[in-house]
Amino acid sequence: MKKIIFLILTLANLLYAHNYNEVLLKAQASIFPKIVLLDKKLSNKLIDGKIVYTIVYDKNDYQTALDIRKFIDESYDGHFDEYEYKISLVEFSDLSNETQASAIYVLNTSMNMQKVAKIVKEKGVVAFSYDLENLKQGLLFSLLLEKSTVLYLNKENLDTQKVDFLDSLLQIVKFIDNDNG
Amino acid sequence: MNQTLSYMAVVLSLVINATGLYAQPIAKMDDILASISTDIQHYTEVATVTKQNEAYQPYIISVFQGQELEKLGVANLKEALLLVPGVDMATDNVNTKTPIFRGSNSLAFGQSKLFIDGTLVNNVFFDAYSEYLGLPIEMIKRVEVVRGPGSKTDGVNAYAGSIHVITYAEDFDGFESSDKLVFKYGSYDYKMGGFVKTYKADDLKVFIDFYYQEDNKKLPAGPDGYSQGSMSAFGFDNTNLSRNGDAPVWLQDYSLGLNLNYKDFSVKARILEHTQGNAYGINLALPENGGRVKLPSYYLELGYNKEINNYTVDIKAGVKYDTFDSKDKLGPDGVNFIDMVQFDTDYTENNVTFTDGIYGEHLAQQRTLYQSSYLKYKGFNKHIITTGYRYVKEETVDMVSKLSNWATGDAALVDYTDIYPFFDKNAKRDTLIFSLQDEYQLNDSLGFIYGFNYEQTSDKDAGFEPRVSMVYQLDTNNIFKAIYSRSHRNPSWQEMYTMNNHSRVGNTTLEPEKVDAFELAYVKKYSSDTYLQTNLFYLLNKNQIHHSATDPQYKNILDTDLYGLEFEYKGHISDEDQFYLNYSYVGGRSQIQDAAVSEPLSNVSHHLAKGYYIYRINDSFSLSALAKYVSSKERASGDTRNTVEAYSTLDSALSYMNKRYDFTVMLSLKNIFDAKVTYPSPPKTYSQDYEQERRNFLIALKKEF
Repeated sequence: MKKIIFLILTLANLLYAHNYNEVLLKAQASIFPKIVLLDKKLSNKLIDGKIVYTIVYDKNDYQTALDIRKFIDESYDGHFDEYEYKISLVEFSDLSNETQASAIYVLNTSMNMQKVAKIVKEKGVVAFSYDLENLKQGLLFSLLLEKSTVLYLNKENLDTQKVDFLDSLLQIVKFIDNDNG
Repeated sequence: MNQTLSYMAVVLSLVINATGLYAQPIAKMDDILASISTDIQHYTEVATVTKQNEAYQPYIISVFQGQELEKLGVANLKEALLLVPGVDMATDNVNTKTPIFRGSNSLAFGQSKLFIDGTLVNNVFFDAYSEYLGLPIEMIKRVEVVRGPGSKTDGVNAYAGSIHVITYAEDFDGFESSDKLVFKYGSYDYKMGGFVKTYKADDLKVFIDFYYQEDNKKLPAGPDGYSQGSMSAFGFDNTNLSRNGDAPVWLQDYSLGLNLNYKDFSVKARILEHTQGNAYGINLALPENGGRVKLPSYYLELGYNKEINNYTVDIKAGVKYDTFDSKDKLGPDGVNFIDMVQFDTDYTENNVTFTDGIYGEHLAQQRTLYQSSYLKYKGFNKHIITTGYRYVKEETVDMVSKLSNWATGDAALVDYTDIYPFFDKNAKRDTLIFSLQDEYQLNDSLGFIYGFNYEQTSDKDAGFEPRVSMVYQLDTNNIFKAIYSRSHRNPSWQEMYTMNNHSRVGNTTLEPEKVDAFELAYVKKYSSDTYLQTNLFYLLNKNQIHHSATDPQYKNILDTDLYGLEFEYKGHISDEDQFYLNYSYVGGRSQIQDAAVSEPLSNVSHHLAKGYYIYRINDSFSLSALAKYVSSKERASGDTRNTVEAYSTLDSALSYMNKRYDFTVMLSLKNIFDAKVTYPSPPKTYSQDYEQERRNFLIALKKEF
């Protein structure tokens, strides 16, 4: 038993990857791009006329990020509605204000999420999170598989974002704030 | 839920049309919102069917994903079930293994039901499913285990628990499974090969799974039942013929499964040929080489499922064959006894010596025909009504009873099928179950399911059995459940129709075992994949069926109250791993009817703890540890043996996945510390408990296409 614990602790110093729920990943990959299209100020966020959907990941989640890009490409075939899109994969450590993004989808990380939130806020783009908990750190949308599939939005972040959603979208989301999940 | 989604779509539509602010055409926005609504419905359906949202379901349920179990080195369904909170394992002298849920009647079968892709596969003879416990984990997409009576709408009474095995035949848009080829090799010269294959064309989908597996496993056993007086009566003492040795618990299986879907029609079929060693002997003499038990299981089910507006129709009809087929040397050379055929005819005691031992062939084949029709209606606001019936016709269609010559002691087999059968060849039972259920969603936070089954049989009726459950979602992270249900277990045919056997005597007047179950649960969700589930249960069992060495006839003699708690955590120690832990406690007492005597639970572990840890080193490698603790078990009253000892086991597995070539290699070491794992033997059978596998290994190679 001691040897096993030692082995586990030794391996804990190596690189690691997070665990993801496949159904949740695919649900988010299907729905989040459509929410981008409901932003009234989307035209201000186009880059070279395209929607740049940026997936931010930890180094060892690269394969997960690739899988999401593949799923989105298979589902959308190059266009979010009438807009061409480009999926950009960016490591957390490389994310900065210079990172090109019309919208950002954030996978799990052990890094400080507030840094991500700050960049998102300054860039004024919509930020989606795999994990609901990140909404308390300043990201805007997440989605959970509850009895039904539920979209969550942190209303405290909504006012501060340079985004303006159709009211009808706001009627189907569940609001949370930084204190109450 | 569907009403909520429809309402959302209407609101979306109205608001869009009232909004002139958006830069893009309203019709386009309408399409996008409708598309989001469709996605929400689709993923809700996927999540519900695949139990991703199990915390919100009105059951106490644990779900294990096949691919996760593969990483743990779990080999088959039996090993997967040993991970479930509150579930222990028992066996008998022919190695008919059965999971014991929450300590419920630990020496009986049929307390739980096994479904393969929705089809009930318990055999009629034992009401057990041990022939399916070897189902390789690579054939299993998911195992869902409901503790307690569970769902009522399918017309099947689960009693203590139900196990739903979902194969890779399950298919949703965006979640297609790969074809795959699997080979495994392990201790006891275990070899396995199998594949799953899906073919799709337009509206047609065909899925096939196949596997073959065998081993030559032998486990230490004895002294056998002769040491405890088996075949010693009427002044004959055969105890000196008792033997120690290795019990042949080998297996040889092949299975071919077919799932075919065309539009609204479906076909599910399986051929399972299961052969195993005679283990500890059907007459409790340690078997010699050459004997075997066959437990084949075949089924074919046709289905029609159609949704029309607010109505969903689900019609099924099927046939299932299962057989108990034993052929073995049942007693050692030199057994002295009396001619039992003559004695049971006129009480004449003619001595007989089986110089070359006693041989036997016993076969009982059962056929089950069933048909069910259910109608679901969603037209009432906040209500989903489901009603229907299930009709089941079970009968023995073939029976053979051969034994060495009772009159002369000659070893050659004599056909006693008509004059001294081991089983009633005319066994039959008709069952009709009517169900009605309402799923009422009061608001987003509070939902109820209430309904009942009403069952009539050609034997003893179970009658009216209600169920009420409530799920309350306080907020995103806190969910409460309360469940009351009544259910029953009809007697197995072994318990009713065994004949001319002085250690097991069937009883056709048996009443169904009944249980009233009260359960409370609290689920704390910490994130999308981290949760804590705790629950309390109180089970009032009536008329539990039991037999003993002193009274071999099966009787409804026990009323057992069980209470306990279960705790289940799944999440992470840190961000980079998966951690699962459960603990369960069960307590209670049994009241012996007509004797005004109560006794503590026997052959039940009060404490069970199981857990695993998977460390995902990178995208290719994962390392896991799996630990189990099973506390000691008290003996039944009158059994002077020491308690069944507690044990702990630790397994570890290393898994390598090559994404480029889509293959996986897994190496596991089980029971690393070589713990002695035993399942209890009943009194007057084997004096020592049934010892299980010691340290062993398994290698698996899987290639996906």
